Amino acid sequence: MPKVFFATDLHGSETCWRKFLNSAKFYGCDVLICGGDMTGKAIVPLVEENGHFSYTLAAERQVVSAGQIADVEATIRRKGYYPLRVTPERLHRLDEDAGERAETFRQVMLDGVDRWMKLAAEKLAGTGVQCFVSPGNDDEFEVDDVVRKAEAVQLGEGRVIDIEGFTMISSGWSNPTPWNTHREEPEEKLAERIDAMAVQIPDMSRAIFNLHCPPYRSGLDEAPAIDADLKLLHGGRALRPVGSKAVRDAIDRYQPMLSLHGHIHESKGAVTLGKTLAINPGSAYEEGMLMAAIIQLDAKKGIKSYQLVNG
Amino acid sequence: MAESTMGGGPTTRPSLFLRNATGLVKAWSTFDAFVYSFWSVNLITLGLYGMSFVYTVPDGQVLVGILLFGVLTTFLVATYAMLVSVMPRTGGDYAWQSRVLGGGLGFVLSITGWWFTLFLWAPIYANILVVQFFTPLAYTLGWTGVATFFASQTGVFVACLIVLAFVSIVVTLGMETYARIQKICFWIGLVGLAVVCLLLLINDQSSFQAAFNREATSLFGAPANAYQATIDAATKAGFAGSDFGHFDFSPVLLLLPWLAFYLLWPNWGATLYGEVRGAKDVRKPFWSMFWGLWVTVAMIALVVILMVKTMGWNFYQAANSLYWGSLYGGPAPVIPTWPYPVMFAGWLVDNHLFQAVLIIVMGLWFFGWAGTLFLSSTRVIFAAAFDRVLPSWAANISAKRRVPYGSLILMIVPSIVVSAIYAYKPTFTSVFLDATAVLALTFLATVVAAIILPWRRKDLYDASPIANWKVAGFPAISIVGVITGLFLLFMLYEWSFNGADLYGTTFSATPNSVYYFLATYVVAIAIYVAARIIRKNQGIDLSRIHHEIPVE
Repeated sequence: MPKVFFATDLHGSETCWRKFLNSAKFYGCDVLICGGDMTGKAIVPLVEENGHFSYTLAAERQVVSAGQIADVEATIRRKGYYPLRVTPERLHRLDEDAGERAETFRQVMLDGVDRWMKLAAEKLAGTGVQCFVSPGNDDEFEVDDVVRKAEAVQLGEGRVIDIEGFTMISSGWSNPTPWNTHREEPEEKLAERIDAMAVQIPDMSRAIFNLHCPPYRSGLDEAPAIDADLKLLHGGRALRPVGSKAVRDAIDRYQPMLSLHGHIHESKGAVTLGKTLAINPGSAYEEGMLMAAIIQLDAKKGIKSYQLVNG
Repeated sequence: MAESTMGGGPTTRPSLFLRNATGLVKAWSTFDAFVYSFWSVNLITLGLYGMSFVYTVPDGQVLVGILLFGVLTTFLVATYAMLVSVMPRTGGDYAWQSRVLGGGLGFVLSITGWWFTLFLWAPIYANILVVQFFTPLAYTLGWTGVATFFASQTGVFVACLIVLAFVSIVVTLGMETYARIQKICFWIGLVGLAVVCLLLLINDQSSFQAAFNREATSLFGAPANAYQATIDAATKAGFAGSDFGHFDFSPVLLLLPWLAFYLLWPNWGATLYGEVRGAKDVRKPFWSMFWGLWVTVAMIALVVILMVKTMGWNFYQAANSLYWGSLYGGPAPVIPTWPYPVMFAGWLVDNHLFQAVLIIVMGLWFFGWAGTLFLSSTRVIFAAAFDRVLPSWAANISAKRRVPYGSLILMIVPSIVVSAIYAYKPTFTSVFLDATAVLALTFLATVVAAIILPWRRKDLYDASPIANWKVAGFPAISIVGVITGLFLLFMLYEWSFNGADLYGTTFSATPNSVYYFLATYVVAIAIYVAARIIRKNQGIDLSRIHHEIPVE
């Protein structure tokens, strides 16, 4: 029976992606599921001048030679940022021109995902490990096209997938957030999206809901309270449930065996909602730590065991 | 898609471009976090309560002691702030110890501190509520029956239940609501403190003596000149007197374990920083804890100086000596209540309504503080449950009101039992005196984790913003950790082996507390071993929770 490794919200951390791919061998898992939000949030410009590159990382400005720049780029990628070689003129344009900045972000993100897909092909080829990715609300739509072309990774979004007798549906869409990201929609639309897949599941006692957004008021969706200016309230100690009511309603109605979530990095946990085991492994991508869940499935019991790990 | 730029400006180049993505929030206010830290080293509740034991070191210059403690605790603050910057996720001591020292050791050390020992703090909180709120308020309003009830064993137990009910309500309300309550308590409490300081400032010692004598007779029926009678009675009972102007360094060191009772906790909220997105920034947690500590140090120094000026240090120490001595078979104090400086200051105004209002207002220092008693404990229990060391129900939350009932049951039920022991079995008092020491031991384990972090978890350290913080080639976190560790070790030694049993916790004199705490460690080890065996049978290997997956 499949042993599933689920991680989510890697946000461009190449360290976490490499760990994700290596987890199959490390934990003896045969199914890898990445829950969404693969792409990073920041670009670190490497400014080329007089044969040297200057950049700032962790508040420290550094100058390196052209021969060292590849190592610097690798370091930046491991931290979850995108390195970008620029001239002073292009840096100025990026600073001034929002359109050029947006296009540059799009390109580095897609290049990053493409590189990750190639890494997956290298590491998973011939292993028999199934790997699924379902882009999240922070991922641009073009990411789907890059994943579709991948050799060793299957796109999960919008599909009903059979995993050795268990049925998985996936979506990276979320209810509206204050950041107005790419895959957000009102709760009613999100409910329709989930329903369209859920009705195709033959047996809910063998169903896996891989939905990026956690269910509302489940304890898996508690995010620090913020004001209208996106400023954290009460020293970051005040938490509010920000999950999706549509996701919660779908779980309450369909009662799948397992539901896998992410989106709210701080809200690590595993709870039972009726017959459903709902898990959000959390994310600490910026530390290079891969927070994940390992679920051993069983033909009779459905879920034999589960464990949250910090790999 | 919207993007923004960081590091830009009219004369500097941008160093980072951010896109619009979930969770990119603006940093929390350092002031908000300071308020939480400030409450943790509460100068009225814990502070005045702890100060009332300083009479046991009559030659200890308390101002120097407070300043020295502030300096040494700053290293603790720096250690915790750096740990937050390396591993900001939920769990605090448990997560740090587990990831660096190993899952089993981390569980045993942090669960004994943040779970088992917190049972002991419920009665301590209740005692503070009694001596700083119920009793002085009841006497001031002439409700002598209420005051004597709370001095009885059943009264103490009822006070424990009130504290536990209050804490449970706060956990149920959630931190957002309580944070609002805390802010209101903070500002009104500060006004109350300003009034206390003003009264002590504008009055002299003769007017205080007159006021004390008047109210001692009026409220307690004490004979005339109760002020001098207090000093005389304490002297007769063996109190040698205390000269505030005397300075000798060795006794100052002996004050430190007493001062730990209230000044060791600016990092209390560290277990919650994991939920803060801005915590990667080492400066914010550091400054919030730093100012929480040092504003308290400055305020307690001010209050002490004003008490010396107006009440007289020898009188205050004598009153404390007499009160605490009476609980252990000494002569009865002249006034049958804990020497509460706020109540004494209120007596400078000859109006019982004013005095009652002042006690109520200063009571907000309790109600703005006590609600977080179990907040950190519930987080640690959650983390252990998610790691499958504790049963999953320990992390359950009710669907309707989001009450973490599993962890609350694990805290409340044993706390009720421990409260009953505290109320009805006075021979177990030393166990409660050890409550500070066991938390210090938990901090020590975290500090050891911090010291070895750069080598033991090189991956996390190298990826952190403090990776380049070095002094003479050594990681800064290890250096501040060593200094903090020596400070904690000194206090642990004094608590455990002080020849005169100064703190009521010396091992050889208090076998009950030794047995109790040994039992808690044995229980913690038993839980972990049982969890390993049970989970192994379920196909779960607990030893792999914190193992790092290879990167290449």
